Amino acid sequence: MGRFIKVIFVLMSVAMASQFSVFVQAADNEEIKVLREEIKNLRNVYENKISELESKIGQIEGQRLASGGEHQIPATSMRSIKSNASNPSIGMVLNGKFNKYSVDGEAEVAGFALGHEGERKGAGFAVDHTELNFSSNVDDKFYGSSTFAIAEHDGETEVELEEAYIQTLPGFLADGFTLKVGRAFWTIGYLNEHHSHADDFADRPLPYRAILDGGYNDDGFEITYVVPSDFYTEVGIGLFRGNDTPFRGPDGKGYGGRSMFARVGGDIGANQSWRAGVYKLTGESVSGRTGGHGDAVTFIGDTDLQILDLRYTLAPTGNAREKEIIFQHETFWREEDGTYEDTEETPGAGAVNVNWARDKVGSYTQLIYKFNPRWRIGLRYSELQPPPAPAALAGSHIDGGGFTPEMHSVMTDWTNSEFSRVRLQFNSAELAAGQNDSQFILQYIMSIGAHGAHKY
Amino acid sequence: MEKYSITLTLAICGLLCGNAFAKVSLFACEPEWEALAKEIGGKNVEVFSATHAKQDPHHIRARPSFISKIRRADLVICSGAGLEAGWLPILIQKASARVQPGAVGYLMASDFVNILEVPTSVDRSMGDVHPEGNPHVHLNPHNILLVATELSQRLNKIDAGNIDFYNERFQKFSFRWKQAIVQWESDAASLGGTPVIVHHKSFIYLISWLNLSQKGSLEPRPGIPPTVSHLEDLLKKLKQGDPVDVIMRAPYDSAEASEWLSRQTGIPAVMMPYTVGGDSESKDLFSLFDRSITLLKQAASAIK
Repeated sequence: MGRFIKVIFVLMSVAMASQFSVFVQAADNEEIKVLREEIKNLRNVYENKISELESKIGQIEGQRLASGGEHQIPATSMRSIKSNASNPSIGMVLNGKFNKYSVDGEAEVAGFALGHEGERKGAGFAVDHTELNFSSNVDDKFYGSSTFAIAEHDGETEVELEEAYIQTLPGFLADGFTLKVGRAFWTIGYLNEHHSHADDFADRPLPYRAILDGGYNDDGFEITYVVPSDFYTEVGIGLFRGNDTPFRGPDGKGYGGRSMFARVGGDIGANQSWRAGVYKLTGESVSGRTGGHGDAVTFIGDTDLQILDLRYTLAPTGNAREKEIIFQHETFWREEDGTYEDTEETPGAGAVNVNWARDKVGSYTQLIYKFNPRWRIGLRYSELQPPPAPAALAGSHIDGGGFTPEMHSVMTDWTNSEFSRVRLQFNSAELAAGQNDSQFILQYIMSIGAHGAHKY
Repeated sequence: MEKYSITLTLAICGLLCGNAFAKVSLFACEPEWEALAKEIGGKNVEVFSATHAKQDPHHIRARPSFISKIRRADLVICSGAGLEAGWLPILIQKASARVQPGAVGYLMASDFVNILEVPTSVDRSMGDVHPEGNPHVHLNPHNILLVATELSQRLNKIDAGNIDFYNERFQKFSFRWKQAIVQWESDAASLGGTPVIVHHKSFIYLISWLNLSQKGSLEPRPGIPPTVSHLEDLLKKLKQGDPVDVIMRAPYDSAEASEWLSRQTGIPAVMMPYTVGGDSESKDLFSLFDRSITLLKQAASAIK
């Protein structure tokens, strides 16, 4: 109030002073300056007062809405295409390769009868899996997604249903629980959940190729629970038909595969994060899992697989877009109890019993360094430890002859935008005795249309 | 034995339960929203910011820790308009019903402000253009106030027991903020019309608020890193006498391109704080704008 009186006083003084304007010209200028300053301050104070009152009105209105009326929260900004808002997100991944190998023909992997997805891809130019994805929320309780892969196997173009699942949205089950039903790349290890186009190398590491035939996407369901802890903890169980490697040939009675997993993760400071998990996948091949050239080897029996995965990321400058280091490791242990029959190399032997106790069967370790927003380099070592084959199966696909298949890989890729990537990779593959395969792979991966968020 | 199991239960609870019950838990996608949540929520909220000022919010990888934070969050506050499209949806799928789109706990700032640069057509050859418009809305302080108003109402609904507390804090903040806006606008009046070049179009709200004039960007297309040929073109244009006073970049933009252009032309290249924590001076929302205007004025006067 004091300031107000002062201003009135000054105003009156000015009015009076103006009567004697000639008299006090110099002093006047000073006064006017002060006066202008005061008026400006006064205006600010009043403007603030008014806006404060306005905000009070806003608050009272807000309270009234909160207590009685409906406070509308706008439906928001998940990405949508305006003219066809109810259409699912549609995306396509285009993936092509040029492969050059120093070993011609079919490359063996000592001790393992590979499936079609796990085999070395053909030499020369080839369009690899072209993925077509549709996904959308079904309604307020469910989300649905399907992925078709169009690929060529042995000269025939095939459409594979890679994924077709529904998943509950938060709010349907108790907090933290998610149920996923259908066919999907299930939660087994790090890479399995990811589509191969998101991999850091042009081919999957050896254990994925030899043991999971690229990836495990059986039919079934999985329930996961995110524990409300300070660091990330997620556990889950699954039941499956048993119609994908490492099982196959289900009898349709009950379930052929079951899984459970637990994983944890967290941050170290603001620029490092880690994740570790243990996974178990158990099941039965009833009418048989086949592999090798011409599906020559058939396994019937129980498989128990355990996987450990570790992942660590570091952004040395704090900005992962500029520079980033990613370390990733997975180890596979397997137990098999059943019979192997080889109709190609040891046709007379018939079904031979094997009873392999749980043992380490393969692993890989890789390191990726992004040294520039567009360029990355990567190193990978992967290996397999084939268990000893029974004498009756000597010379068959599953007879490793004491050889440890291993592969050293180095890659560099160029990422123009988050939708396009070109990669050059060199593999030094020693997958069977006396077979040193030098492999060059040039690959492009481009995605058009909707592209979902990448997994963590 | 019983004693042990009680100890174990307590230990597990200590590990898992935390003190989530005591405070409203907020998950902020960017530091500016973390700062705003602290202004309004004070001691009654616990805020986690998924990113810091040195990180490019377009290119964040969803980290495991985000899952555990968002799982417990009562409110998620982000810029929206597609800025977090590469990482937020996967987190939201693992979060609780409280923070699903349409719920009280899902607050996208861009839903409550006037969005600039909404494209009439979108094609990926144009670069990473957001169909929703430019998402960097926080650099106009009037937008901050609009989001603050919404946030205080959301907090009132989530934590109804503390309505008076949030209202009082909001009113105090809003009073101080409006005063500050008056001050900033008079301080920056001289900047009107200043021609600038930006690294990425992350400053359009600041530029439109202060009536600066954006003459170009170092990125040839939004989200595509600067190329030599594009920079040469810019340089040619600048030498042909299209004057520019400032080259602006965010802390997460690579310094190389703007420093190069600055050396070639003598135009000052300025690392703007962009968000809270962007430099040592920008400690909160107030000092973020103080600092931004100071830097722009320094640069603009340096060239004259």
